[in-house]
Amino acid sequence: MSFSIDPHAPEPIVRRDFLKKLALASSAAWMAGAPQIVRGSGFKHPAAKADACILLWMAGGMAAPETFDPKRYAPYSQGMPVDTVLSTFPSIDTAVDNIKISSGLKRIASIMDRGTLIRSAVQPDLGSILHSRHQYHWHTGYVPPQTVACPHLGSWIARVLGPRNDIMPPFINIGQRLEGIGEQEELKAFTTAGFFGSEYGPMNLPFPEQAAQSVRPPEGMTGARFANRNRLFRQLVDKNPNREYASDYQQESLLRSMDNAYRLLSSKEREAFDIEREPQEVRDAYDTGRFGRGCLLARRLVENGARFVEVTTEYVPFLHWDTHAAGHSTTDRMHKEIDRPIAQLILDLEERGLLDRTLVIVASEFSRDAIMEGKPGSNANDQAAHKGDFITEEKHYGLHRHFTGGSSVALFGGGVKKGYLYGKTADERPLVAIENPVSVTDLHATIMTAMGISPKTEFSVEGRPFYVTEDGKGTPVTDIFA
Amino acid sequence: MKALTYFLSISHLLPALATAQAERNVDFFHDVVPILKQHCYECHGGSKSKGGFSINTLDKILEDDSAVPGDADQSYFIELLEDPDPDYRMPYDGNPPVPPEEIEILKRWVNQGMPWDPSFSFAEPRYEPPLHPRHPELPRALGTRDHPIDRIVDAYLANKEIPLPEPLNDEAFLRRVSLDITGLLPSPQETRQFLADRSPHKRDRLIDNLLSRNVEYTEHWLTFWNDLLRNDYAGTGFITGGRKQISGWLYDSLKHNAPFDRMVRELIAPPSKESSGFIDGIEWRGTVSVAQSLPVQFSQNVSQSFLGINMKCASCHDSFVDRWTLAEAYGLAAIYSEDPLELYRCDKPTGDQAVAAWPFPEIGQIDPEAPKEQRLQQLAELFVHPDNGRVTRTIVNRLWAQLMGRGIVHPLDAMETEPWNANLLDWLAVDFQKNGYNIKRTLKLIASSQAYQSQSSASSQSDSNAKYTYHGPLPKRLTAEQFVDAVWKFTDSAPIGFDAPVYRSDRADDQDSRFSVTSSWIWLSDPPEPNQEIWARREFNISKPVAFAGIVTAAGDAFAVYLNGQLIQQGSGANDLQAGSLGPKLLAGKNEIRIRAANFGRNRSEAALFCALWLDYEDGKSQLILSDENWQVAPHPPQLEGHANRSPKALPWRNAQPVAHEKWEKIANRRVNSLLAIQYAGSDRPPRASLLKTDSLMRSLGRPNRDQIVTSRPNELTTLEAVDLSTSQQLIDYLQRGADKVIQNPDTQNTAQIIDEIYLGLLTRYPTRQERRLLKDALGRRPTPAAVTDLLWAITATPEFFIIR
Repeated sequence: MSFSIDPHAPEPIVRRDFLKKLALASSAAWMAGAPQIVRGSGFKHPAAKADACILLWMAGGMAAPETFDPKRYAPYSQGMPVDTVLSTFPSIDTAVDNIKISSGLKRIASIMDRGTLIRSAVQPDLGSILHSRHQYHWHTGYVPPQTVACPHLGSWIARVLGPRNDIMPPFINIGQRLEGIGEQEELKAFTTAGFFGSEYGPMNLPFPEQAAQSVRPPEGMTGARFANRNRLFRQLVDKNPNREYASDYQQESLLRSMDNAYRLLSSKEREAFDIEREPQEVRDAYDTGRFGRGCLLARRLVENGARFVEVTTEYVPFLHWDTHAAGHSTTDRMHKEIDRPIAQLILDLEERGLLDRTLVIVASEFSRDAIMEGKPGSNANDQAAHKGDFITEEKHYGLHRHFTGGSSVALFGGGVKKGYLYGKTADERPLVAIENPVSVTDLHATIMTAMGISPKTEFSVEGRPFYVTEDGKGTPVTDIFA
Repeated sequence: MKALTYFLSISHLLPALATAQAERNVDFFHDVVPILKQHCYECHGGSKSKGGFSINTLDKILEDDSAVPGDADQSYFIELLEDPDPDYRMPYDGNPPVPPEEIEILKRWVNQGMPWDPSFSFAEPRYEPPLHPRHPELPRALGTRDHPIDRIVDAYLANKEIPLPEPLNDEAFLRRVSLDITGLLPSPQETRQFLADRSPHKRDRLIDNLLSRNVEYTEHWLTFWNDLLRNDYAGTGFITGGRKQISGWLYDSLKHNAPFDRMVRELIAPPSKESSGFIDGIEWRGTVSVAQSLPVQFSQNVSQSFLGINMKCASCHDSFVDRWTLAEAYGLAAIYSEDPLELYRCDKPTGDQAVAAWPFPEIGQIDPEAPKEQRLQQLAELFVHPDNGRVTRTIVNRLWAQLMGRGIVHPLDAMETEPWNANLLDWLAVDFQKNGYNIKRTLKLIASSQAYQSQSSASSQSDSNAKYTYHGPLPKRLTAEQFVDAVWKFTDSAPIGFDAPVYRSDRADDQDSRFSVTSSWIWLSDPPEPNQEIWARREFNISKPVAFAGIVTAAGDAFAVYLNGQLIQQGSGANDLQAGSLGPKLLAGKNEIRIRAANFGRNRSEAALFCALWLDYEDGKSQLILSDENWQVAPHPPQLEGHANRSPKALPWRNAQPVAHEKWEKIANRRVNSLLAIQYAGSDRPPRASLLKTDSLMRSLGRPNRDQIVTSRPNELTTLEAVDLSTSQQLIDYLQRGADKVIQNPDTQNTAQIIDEIYLGLLTRYPTRQERRLLKDALGRRPTPAAVTDLLWAITATPEFFIIR
């Protein structure tokens, strides 16, 4: 366990004692024990049940009325007025009496009794809708730009709780390419540990099927050669004439990191990265594409002690959930991509007894609407590809505007209530949250609380207190905890 | 914050909500500190403790039982605040009473146990740096150690009874000074020569020599300045045109060792667009917090970069952690602002107007009535005013830290911290100013001192909070750029092109017009199929010696370019022109360029590919190979999906379809020729990492996203980096190339020579006898490429390689 090995790294203010204790505890004891509560200043904390978290990220703006919050169904007919469109899919029953979701999510419907559905998540209107700005806000809790580089949610969890199994990287990010796509710089800006330093940054695995390569010796290198290479490295270190500098903490940290890497690369846990090791029928059950394979990988990683895993449908401008045109058919495809793997993931975690201690979150940066951009009263530019009062072609049928007034977040496991519905949006446009709105800040507070981290947890950076929820103001939605 | 205001304004109307408020937790910094500061500080804070009562720390408050944590009703100070008799009530002397809602907050704070951030105190900072330059006397020299730095440092060490650090041997000195000045490892040849040189002046000569290598120096220090000035070649903000580079200006300033005062003037009051990107900040699309508006960014950035002071806290509220106020932060912002600027406290308007001013009026002040351009010039002059000791201290402290591993003041951006030796800092600052703000001169001064030429002292993290005492230089980790450059240099595997829009040599001056490429775009079909990937290829013959081969490519929404099967370029679209210089990669005889391109973006009805290969032959003739209907194209077979780098053997090649489109023509016509000129100017030496956009390896090794100013780099190596280094196919490819190079080198014919070459090239020393014996056994008589590759890997993973001692 290595905390704060950089003397320039921010010092934790309120939790120094906790970290000391954590550093002393052996990782085995840590794993076996119940998750511990990290208290901020005097915060009353419900008992935390989760010690792992999987964020299933619906990148690009998942329309709530097309998924978890269906409204009046308006089937396609040529020439239909666009303002008659609320949902382009009919709704179906779920395992919970008072919850209906969109057709196309049949399997998720069958597991809604395992979790809580929040239908009243709201986002600020940032004037101009730029996905990556809202994603930055969602992932860090802070609206960009900021005067310091803000850490990702996963980095906060990694920083405060450390690894769950000290061989496993605590923060693993699956499915998002950061090179060769649009807005890549904007994505990188929040896919980072920010001021915590890269020790707490994400291990990026853009292609789940290639994840095993990230923890495997380079191609063409046999296990024997790999072990030999490491032996040679150790011998060189031992024979090094400058070995007397061994007290140097830099040298020690460097050797420890190399050691950790070698241990991971020669560990049993390494196999967790290889989804090919799953039986064919299991792979088939998940494999709806990269996202589905990512869910399977996430399950294997959490089984082997990962702390925080994000699996994304991937943000690429104008692809996947980023529907500016052909919304209905694209959403139909996205339903197929997410329905099976999400349901299977929840069932698998449950079967393994891991669901109660793993918080699974399904969320997106905002929702969508057929005619409204932003929220009522917004000046945001209308970004639909086709602008007309009537839908003349099927490709114009769908929700093509960004909507920040009400979206859905599904939470499973990790101590949240089962089969519970929280918050409500209007049944007629504007489809804004009309009951129990949940801000990004409060949602963060809720996630952190579930993980045993006080929303007021703070670190000092550049002499300034920096909180895990914006300015320490996050209030958890305690209603949703069982 | 909004939620809080909401609660406060209606809580007295709604009892239910008032209860909710009572349960809310008090936040020490945002709720409690402002109240104490406003109502109590004047008489009981800082150096004042009227009636013997001080609020500086929790301990002070708890003295004399003035408060009982957990019990507001038993707390005397609350009682005093609520006393109905104005003669007894605090605050005294006709000061307005504390409003009831604020007393409520204090009560809740007490009831919640009075949480107090241990790092916080109302006590005045012990140290306030002088504003004016100081001219310290130099202490007497210790023996022959008469270098000014050594006279000060030796006296300091003697005073503290700390032994002088051991002198640095030639090997370690050569490695350290080369990395510090040029960012590059010395070649084996340079190392041999330096070690064999018996001249007593060889170290000074080496320093001069390194400083005279203008391009190498520039391309190393570019990293430091890019970090300090938040400059990069890609990043947030560029997508919307909200940000401008200063790369060309910065590169030229460093190459010509421009005086620092001129650089400051040109950055703060830019004479042209070339240097305006620093003060113009990053303009974000959409609504942005006032504390990140361009004028406030200006305030924060000029303060941090040049004064080493942090205006970030103060641009939201009077700082809790140092002495800067909201008004001071906005005073600087108003210098930049075109329009009248209203002060916002925590994103809420205060009704007060900012007045253009800087925080050190003793030297002079801005005329708030002057137009913006003049205000900026006035500020620039104040920054480099002869009476301004702060700016010079800030920069010499940064230079010292770059070379010595830690600033005389630490952290570098908290210049109000007491230096471990004020005389040293002041002497360096005055010397710098006296000698024309000459950066290289100060670097030489430091590098030529015995202090610099000493062994580094082992640092331990455990004393990071204790008061620092200088024992000698501290070891530094290679920066991301130094690591990458070192590997590229030893293995000859630098990429073919670079991203910085800079002229690396003077040979391309007036050469832009020489290149006359015009737009010529192709695709598989016109219009294209959406969501399609294609291949394009062109064969050509090289029949005589080539002097320069420049290539510019762009295509689709993503593309990769292969020369004779080797990946040479990658880009993310038809407006992402990638330029490079092929140089020795071309084969005599037949060559092939093959490009894979995808069309999946927003405008899937448009797709095109552009490639220009410009060849200058040594006989003076030139040739242009341009993407046209002579190229062959083919669709990418779907069964190879996901295998990005695998090119199918047989494809249904056909002639390319020319694509004419005004947009494409503009892209190509506008930039291709200047890109070729830039690559031409840079083609006489391999690209350096500092000239490239960041990538995942550099990012993981600590190159910052330059959205904010980040003035120090990580000193450790993290597990994830170690995993990357252990598994990276790319690193292995580089090292294999390096292994082949060593094995094929006619000068390294046996195992011992190979081992020497590797040690000299990577560690700047000969191996010890023990090491030689170990490696002879490991490599055997005839070292295989695999064995040498593994040795190269093992050495680059050792602390000795990674840490500059």
